[in-house]
Amino acid sequence: MEHPEQRVALIELLGRDGQVMRTLDVWRWPLTLGRALDNDFVVDDPHLAAHHARLAPGDDGQLLLLHALPSRNGVRFAGLAVEGAMTLPAGGGLLQLGTSKLRLRLPGETLAPELPLPRHANGTPLPPPLLVGAAVFALLLGAHGLTLDPGADYSAWLPALIGLPAVLAAWCGMWALMSKLFQHRFDFGGHLRIALPWLLALTLTDALWPLLTAALAAPRLWMLGNTIEGVLLALLVHAHLSHLLPLHRRAVTASVATMAVAGAALSAALTWRNTDSLVAAPYMSTLPPPALRLAGTVPSATLVQDMAPLAEKLAARVQQARADDEGDGEGNE
Amino acid sequence: MQHTGPRAFLRALRRGLLAGVVAAALPAGADTPPLAAPASAASAPTAAAAMPLTGTGQRLYERTRPQLLQVRTLLKTQDSQSSVGSGFLVDDAGHLVTNYHVVSQYALQPSRFRLVYVTVDGQQGALQLLAFDVVHDLALLKPVDAAPLAGRGSVALRPADEPLARGARIFSLGNPLDVGFAVAEGSYNGPVERSFLETLFFGGSLSPGMSGGPALDDQGRLVGVNVAARRDGEQVSFLVPAAPVRVLINRGRGATPITAPAWPEITRQLLAHEATLTARFTALPWRSAGHPRYTIPVPQETFMRCWGRGSPQAARGLQFERSDCEMDSRIFVNGSLLTGYLTVRHEAYDGSRIGALRFAERYSASFRNEFMGRNDRHRTAPRCVERQISSGPPGADGAAALPLKGVICLRAYKKLEGLHDLSVLVATLDGTQVGVQGRLDAFGISAASAQRLAQHYLDGYAWNTPNNVSR
Repeated sequence: MEHPEQRVALIELLGRDGQVMRTLDVWRWPLTLGRALDNDFVVDDPHLAAHHARLAPGDDGQLLLLHALPSRNGVRFAGLAVEGAMTLPAGGGLLQLGTSKLRLRLPGETLAPELPLPRHANGTPLPPPLLVGAAVFALLLGAHGLTLDPGADYSAWLPALIGLPAVLAAWCGMWALMSKLFQHRFDFGGHLRIALPWLLALTLTDALWPLLTAALAAPRLWMLGNTIEGVLLALLVHAHLSHLLPLHRRAVTASVATMAVAGAALSAALTWRNTDSLVAAPYMSTLPPPALRLAGTVPSATLVQDMAPLAEKLAARVQQARADDEGDGEGNE
Repeated sequence: MQHTGPRAFLRALRRGLLAGVVAAALPAGADTPPLAAPASAASAPTAAAAMPLTGTGQRLYERTRPQLLQVRTLLKTQDSQSSVGSGFLVDDAGHLVTNYHVVSQYALQPSRFRLVYVTVDGQQGALQLLAFDVVHDLALLKPVDAAPLAGRGSVALRPADEPLARGARIFSLGNPLDVGFAVAEGSYNGPVERSFLETLFFGGSLSPGMSGGPALDDQGRLVGVNVAARRDGEQVSFLVPAAPVRVLINRGRGATPITAPAWPEITRQLLAHEATLTARFTALPWRSAGHPRYTIPVPQETFMRCWGRGSPQAARGLQFERSDCEMDSRIFVNGSLLTGYLTVRHEAYDGSRIGALRFAERYSASFRNEFMGRNDRHRTAPRCVERQISSGPPGADGAAALPLKGVICLRAYKKLEGLHDLSVLVATLDGTQVGVQGRLDAFGISAASAQRLAQHYLDGYAWNTPNNVSR
């Protein structure tokens, strides 16, 4: 019997998701690949020729040569089409014959370092999910409680008590289903751990940003609140997607950024149509409680003075609207 | 409260529309085709016979018949009527008076519409618009060909020095719903109370289509012009008094017919109206709202009407009292635009039953729930300025001045150049469990008036008892 450690190469047939479907221990060269039964490695792929490729040492007997045999679809190595024959690197690489992907592993390969298991992914462990979850839940429940009158019926709490966990479970469940699709594991816990800190950040921003900006009497900053929440939401989706497709980080970042920019542009366009402004809220509606009223007051005449330039700005808008109107044809109506 | 803003807005809209829609001429297609057939001399007595008539009514109808007209607005390109109203001859040359709102489509788009009169005996002819008074909702017209209307006599105006006694019988003539010419008998009930523009209260039924018809005393002299009715009551109808009719006839008789869109002239009339309104309004002192802590500006009810409402006694939540003051007089520009009026309202909140945190949440939510309007056909989107301000007696500072959040928003009219809608929003900022939010809205005013009104309103806020101020 031959000993496993004496193999000269290993050929792995890879499935659609990159998992290994079949392996072949190679004991000697040459070796042929193709659909026909007399090949060393029979690949059952209709896009292959009967004898599609051949692996054999070169004349010096050291380096391995990949010969592309006559075929309609050809051979690709590491993404490049092989014309005739090419010398293979000492570590091997990825071969594509027809639609089949094969990994050729040679003794000269350098192994990637051992990957840690996901739960040890970070040196500094995240706050225990239970703690973050409790904080989010308490905050949201508190916010809901504020909208209820004292002594409200217990059923009024149900939307928050049941709704919040249900929404969170549905969100994480959706991502877990996607991970089942892409990674063949139902990674509910992983996505829950990702969602909770972002949810905490969103909840805190939602609760504190308006209050903070109202305390400082800064309407422009107050109006940024929605933008900040939008960015946080995009980052949350980015975190989920990166976890789902760890090998496609750049594509994930690019697509999330594209979606975020497109969404922002669409919402800005709709807001602009209705309000002639990029901000939907015409004024800062959060009123600071007396204890948080840090900014001082000015005489009311100052506010009335502020208003003076408005008429001129509006007149410019009217002129523009009129020009648009006449551009459309009928000047009146 | 949570939804007071939009609700009040909707209510205001509905009330405005009641006056507007009822006053507005009957839209085409609102009736079954046989009823909408052109009125003929034969059909008129039938319709009239259906009304309860006295002998005086019959006599008046017989005498006024030749001077009574239906005024139709037609699309220029086809014969279908877009709206109908009534009118009456005011001199032997064929000049006739109707409501502005009956001819508003023509006034604003003379290139798309045309005006036609139909007499009781079925004669028809084209009309020209000479002049209008958008504030009093009146229009003066004359036929293109004066011959068919000449020599039919005219409706005389009741002299101003002969006031009519309340309860006197008066007779309103017109063509309700295009059914046929009719006489509606009712009583004269004097001017409408708390109205900025003098309007007469007619205790009789007016229907769409009678707009612009004459209301006559028992001698056939004009008391007023049919203009509007309230749909939420019974026999509560309104007439434009004879005085502005007289002014319009004298002003417009020699005028050249209007053939271009009348937006500039409407703007001019509305600016004159708003100047008077602003001057009269700012000259009036504010009334007290009776709040223990704050002085809140509540308008005099000279030409406004205020409605109060409070939270239910047993409610566990935020306690509030609100006051809504509105002007009845609104100026119809077209079917989707009423302007030239003011509203003032406030809500006083007491959060002692819900605590400071919940109060802060409700108080902000109520402040958020104010609709400022958006970009629409007639007006631009609002532009707002906001500040934390102090209000109180002159020279007041520190604890003597009441800290407020003030927001002023302005929208400009697109066609009525120089007119604006003003909204001033105020919230007191001193209380942890008590507060007042108020809002003044002024529709169709100049930028200068907007500044005056905003300052006037903001000056209405102060501490009620500066000595026991607690912060």
